[in-house]
Amino acid sequence: MAERQFKTEEEEEEEEEFDETDYKAQKDAVLFAIDVSSTMLTPPPESDSKKADRDSGTLAALKCAYQIMQQRIISNPRDMMGVLLFGTEESRFQQEDASNRGGLAYPHCYVLTDLDVPAVEDVKVLREMVEDDSESKKLLVPSKESVSISNLLFCANQIFTTKAPNFGSRRLFIITDNDNPHVDDKNTRSQAAVRAKDLYDLGVIIELFPISRPNHDFDRAKFYDDIIYRDPNEGEELALRPTTFKSTGTDGVSLLNNLISDINSKQVAKRAIFSNLPFEIGPGFKISVTGYNILQKQAPSRSSFIYLDGEKAQIAIGETTKMAEDTARTVDKVEIKKAYKFGGGTVLFTPEEQKELRNFGPPVLRIVGFKPQSMLPDWASVHKSTFIFPSEEDYVGSTRVFAALWQKLLKDKKMGVAWYISRKNASPQLVAILPSDEKLDEFTGGQVIPQGLWLYPLPFADDIRPTPECPKPIVAPDNLVDEMRKVIQQLQLPKAMYDPGKYPNPSLQWHYKILQAIALEEELPDAPEDKTIPRYRQIDKRAGEYVNKWGVILDQQSQIYEAGRKTSIKREHDDSEEGPKKKAKVSRATAGLEGMNTDDLRAAIAKGSLNKFTVTDLKDWLHSKGLNSSGKKADLVERIEQWVENA
Amino acid sequence: MASKEATVYIVDQGSSTGECHNGRVENDLDFGMRYIWDKIAETMIANRTTAGVGVIGFRTDATENELAESDPDAYSNISVMKPLGPMEMSHLKDLQHRIQPSDTDTGDAVSAIVVGIQLIEKFTTLKTGKPGKFARKIILLTDGQGVLEDDDIDPIAARINELDIELVIVGIDFDDAEYGFIEKDKSSVKERNEKILKALADKCSKGIFGTVEEAIADLSIPRVKTFRPYSTFKGQLSLGDAIRYPETAFRIDVDRYFRVKAAKPVSASSFVVQQPGSQQATRDAAEMPEDLSAVKNARAYKINDPSAPGGKKDVDREELAKGYEYGRTAIPISEAEENVTKLETFSSFEIVGFIPNDKYEKFLNLGESGITIAQRTNPKAVMALSSFIHALHELDSYAVARIVVKDGKDPQLLLLAPSIEPDLEALIDIPLPFAEDVRVYRFPPLDRVITTSGATLTKHRYLPSDELEDAMSNFVNNMDISKFGRDDDDNPTEYMPIEDTYSPVVHRISQAIRRRGVQPNEAVTPPAEVLIKYSVPPPELISQSGPALQNLIDAADVKKGTPHPHIPLIPYPNTNPPPPVPPKTKGKRSRASPPKPLSGLDVESLLTHPKKFKLTTVNTIPTFKQLLAAADSPSLISPAATQMGSVIHELITRSLGDQFYEQALENLSVLREQMIEFEEPGVYNEYIRDLKGRLLKGELGEGRKDLWFRIMRERRLGLIDRETAPASEVGEEEAAEFYSMRLQTGLPSRAKE
Repeated sequence: MAERQFKTEEEEEEEEEFDETDYKAQKDAVLFAIDVSSTMLTPPPESDSKKADRDSGTLAALKCAYQIMQQRIISNPRDMMGVLLFGTEESRFQQEDASNRGGLAYPHCYVLTDLDVPAVEDVKVLREMVEDDSESKKLLVPSKESVSISNLLFCANQIFTTKAPNFGSRRLFIITDNDNPHVDDKNTRSQAAVRAKDLYDLGVIIELFPISRPNHDFDRAKFYDDIIYRDPNEGEELALRPTTFKSTGTDGVSLLNNLISDINSKQVAKRAIFSNLPFEIGPGFKISVTGYNILQKQAPSRSSFIYLDGEKAQIAIGETTKMAEDTARTVDKVEIKKAYKFGGGTVLFTPEEQKELRNFGPPVLRIVGFKPQSMLPDWASVHKSTFIFPSEEDYVGSTRVFAALWQKLLKDKKMGVAWYISRKNASPQLVAILPSDEKLDEFTGGQVIPQGLWLYPLPFADDIRPTPECPKPIVAPDNLVDEMRKVIQQLQLPKAMYDPGKYPNPSLQWHYKILQAIALEEELPDAPEDKTIPRYRQIDKRAGEYVNKWGVILDQQSQIYEAGRKTSIKREHDDSEEGPKKKAKVSRATAGLEGMNTDDLRAAIAKGSLNKFTVTDLKDWLHSKGLNSSGKKADLVERIEQWVENA
Repeated sequence: MASKEATVYIVDQGSSTGECHNGRVENDLDFGMRYIWDKIAETMIANRTTAGVGVIGFRTDATENELAESDPDAYSNISVMKPLGPMEMSHLKDLQHRIQPSDTDTGDAVSAIVVGIQLIEKFTTLKTGKPGKFARKIILLTDGQGVLEDDDIDPIAARINELDIELVIVGIDFDDAEYGFIEKDKSSVKERNEKILKALADKCSKGIFGTVEEAIADLSIPRVKTFRPYSTFKGQLSLGDAIRYPETAFRIDVDRYFRVKAAKPVSASSFVVQQPGSQQATRDAAEMPEDLSAVKNARAYKINDPSAPGGKKDVDREELAKGYEYGRTAIPISEAEENVTKLETFSSFEIVGFIPNDKYEKFLNLGESGITIAQRTNPKAVMALSSFIHALHELDSYAVARIVVKDGKDPQLLLLAPSIEPDLEALIDIPLPFAEDVRVYRFPPLDRVITTSGATLTKHRYLPSDELEDAMSNFVNNMDISKFGRDDDDNPTEYMPIEDTYSPVVHRISQAIRRRGVQPNEAVTPPAEVLIKYSVPPPELISQSGPALQNLIDAADVKKGTPHPHIPLIPYPNTNPPPPVPPKTKGKRSRASPPKPLSGLDVESLLTHPKKFKLTTVNTIPTFKQLLAAADSPSLISPAATQMGSVIHELITRSLGDQFYEQALENLSVLREQMIEFEEPGVYNEYIRDLKGRLLKGELGEGRKDLWFRIMRERRLGLIDRETAPASEVGEEEAAEFYSMRLQTGLPSRAKE
């Protein structure tokens, strides 16, 4: 992380121009509304299975909110989240308004955590709800009278209006098992519908996460279809199958996992990086597509400066001002001219010229032709890809054309090759257009990879680095390759695929885990959980035999090779004097630390003679064992002693 | 390559070079200099002090060279115009001024080469007397019309080879059968000279002889900057745990390098025009044009402090602790614990497992590829890695590996692919995404349509018909370019291979800088043809697949939708230029279909029609929108807007500090958007002008000027101009002026003591 801060401002400024982060600026606010009712609080029926679901609906929803809050702190650090319980005996509105409006404005609505960028306190509140039964029981008492949904919606309305007035994306997640809250009361039903329309006009989208009970399937048509509107950002009729969740109490996917998976897929507001880009399939034949950043490298937040002298620690906001070097006068952005260094001097362009130099025409994705996917070499990778999906807005019929192209590319394993300018004044790129077929999560059945096309950036000739000069390869003999093949066959990854979901970023997770522990004043965890570390025991068990055999063959074969080479070297050496001298030098060096076996080392340690080796020797040795080779000499010696002891 | 260079350009300036030949309107010297200037500019743009450039003229009016002192006859009319050394702007200007056709035809090209050799020898000999490590080069440009002595060709060629100098001879209108240029009516002098010079070049081990026409044509082919291989990791590729399971683990010594690294355009630096009277003491005059001053960044830190004016207080960096944000909580970390959040890692490169290569999707690639080879001096390692590479290849498999390039660096997962070529066996690696790097966005399927009731349809207007599928298939087959290119022997080959594609931005900017360096007054030109060659399908392919395309267009039946306003993705960017505002081409908003919930319930009928409803700060936006929607006469719009205005006033007045600013801003933006939609821009314009007055005069409470600043700069909620709403009385210029107007008193002053 340290390096990241040392980037010069100049560099950052330069990057800014191309960075996609601009496009992530649209902020998102999510409010969880969790139903607290007697049925929601009933755990699933008992089961003998170990994997059985023990969580009641409410608890599963709270656990889900707790997990998602921690996740959002990492992945969307600027976005807001809040949790609202409804149907509780107790009522509480936002704290700051409690005085003038009182809790009674929204009876049986309980704001558990305010809608805000989550703070440590919010995480704590949720954790207590989830972990401490006695605490949560106090609050999780269903009210005797039923809660009015129109009240709930109006409460959410107020929360969004005051807390997140200018957020581009605002969503209310309702988690409930009650598909017909106002069975007999037409009036309250109508009120709810009106309040729902208010939310729609305010720009708040309602997402329903319905939970079915063992003996009751949730029916949206009974009530919720009256209050839920289609997301105007989605295609008009292209819909995903609505999901319902069922807590069965038996084996299989738990309600919690299901909820998390589904909420996860919706909790990130789908942010397009461009919309309605013309996609020119042939000259004069266009459709429109929208692009999404499905892949986005996540990194730990940068360190910031914190002011500690106030009541509460707060982040100091850094502001950069530009100054003329000669007078230290603050200069305005419009005054700044850009110049290039040229032969010790500078070459100037006006801002208009600068712009013109980057102008290669309006945004477009234009097919140049098609090739088989096999013509895309493994090494031709330079940037992450962008996912595209059709939009009907500019060209009606885009979807069916896009689908036809997608089908053809998928079926024939072909790819499009295209010229691509993602937005105004963006640098043109050449991309391969690759199709993806839908991949579902094996447990939850949730979508992992959608059907669609990907814009895969192709490197330019300028991006290709020369391959290092090498002597003629020594091709391994067949019996050596045969043995290695066995090793590879033994060590296939689960499902014979790379599933990113199985490998959380260890440094990112550790960073936030430590921050969270410090913030919650918990004990610091000892060791990180790092799923990227190979499973050594399994490797030993499954492939050990073959690796060992391979090693034996390698020794034999390399001896044969060395013998062959020595004779040829000898012949060469007859003409030259230099060779043998060098050779002698090399062998003397290797006779040192490297040549010693464990017993020799033990003896050396006993005599205290390890210290006689040079730091380079020690480091080389450590390195050869795959150990940390940094530090002072004493550290290195100690590390070797440690190793010998454990050997 | 970043090694030292010594390049001498020898330019024929005889009076004959002032003539124009072969239909050209520029004289021969200017024509040939195009090549030389570009070469010089190329050196200059690299800004390397180790690249020495010298320029010698021959058949010049003057004689200025050391050798002439001892042998004036042989070395007359040869001028060293710039000694070897770094090339600067001032030199360039000087040379441009001096390199002109002379009044003489005396001066020997071969003697000039000898002068060049002498310059290089002197320049590249180290103090120890030994030759330094330089790339030595002489480039001779001549029209071949001068008198040449060919007696000493052999010893000169020997000397050139001895010094390891590359000799490039480019002749103006020289014959080059290979390139396909033969000059008719060539003078016998020129014919003889061409032969002599060709013989000289042939005798040099690094000699090149060609016609300048070809050299100039080559200039338009972008030159790809070459790099030295850059090692990103040195260590061992390992499988298993060599400490706990020493018998069943392996380690192979390897080196890893970049394979692909995105080239970036040259970056510009920031300057400002100097204020008159400013001091120039610290500046090196040659460094910068006289009237420019570099721009530096200064960073200041502010914290929220309700007691301070404007609610913000400046703090010194020294007062601040380091730490991180966890959500909105600031977590200070003491210096002693600085690395507490950092994962402890050790340099390593370990295999995690294997996958068949058809189970990997390339679009998961996260970025630039690398290449790993076995340690070159270690035959055992080379053999071991070879067996690994071949085994992967035979099994059609990739490996997944975890790499830590240096102690303390973050681990990264890589995909390893085998690469077997006759002279290189290697592993290609690609960075893989972690769980957090893949966002779960759900999309509806493309091969079926799911209705809201959950039914699956296979026939729908969103799904291609069989006819469309066939047409698309046919079109894609027709547009195949896998064999559309032609190789040197005119055999079909891949069209648009990566090696032939050049980064348009990188080269356009580089070309423009070089051009401007040499010709400061020339306007920026459109991108070179070669840079945009692949922006369209090849014309022959288009004509050949015309019927297939027409067929596809017919089957697709795509209709241009209503012009869709480009909605800015960032709602309120505080950057220039202003976000494009949707141009409304429609007339009065047609409420053909009011939004309905999924059930289709007619909510409109449930709404209490709030014609006389009074807007309050509660539920403002929905009520306002419903008021407008229900307005059946335009006369009702203005009163609704007035009510909205009052709510905004109330919010501002009641706001403690910036407490309700966000809400007020949001209401204001809805007001603006709705007035555009209902074509009542005048109502908004009147209101915003009025609001400005009130805010600046303090009528809505003291210290509201920063709110005005946010309205204008951050949210850009200024006047609605005619382009946005045709009914507006405000022109584009006036609207822009309203924005750019300096808020004389508006900016919260920075220096508040």
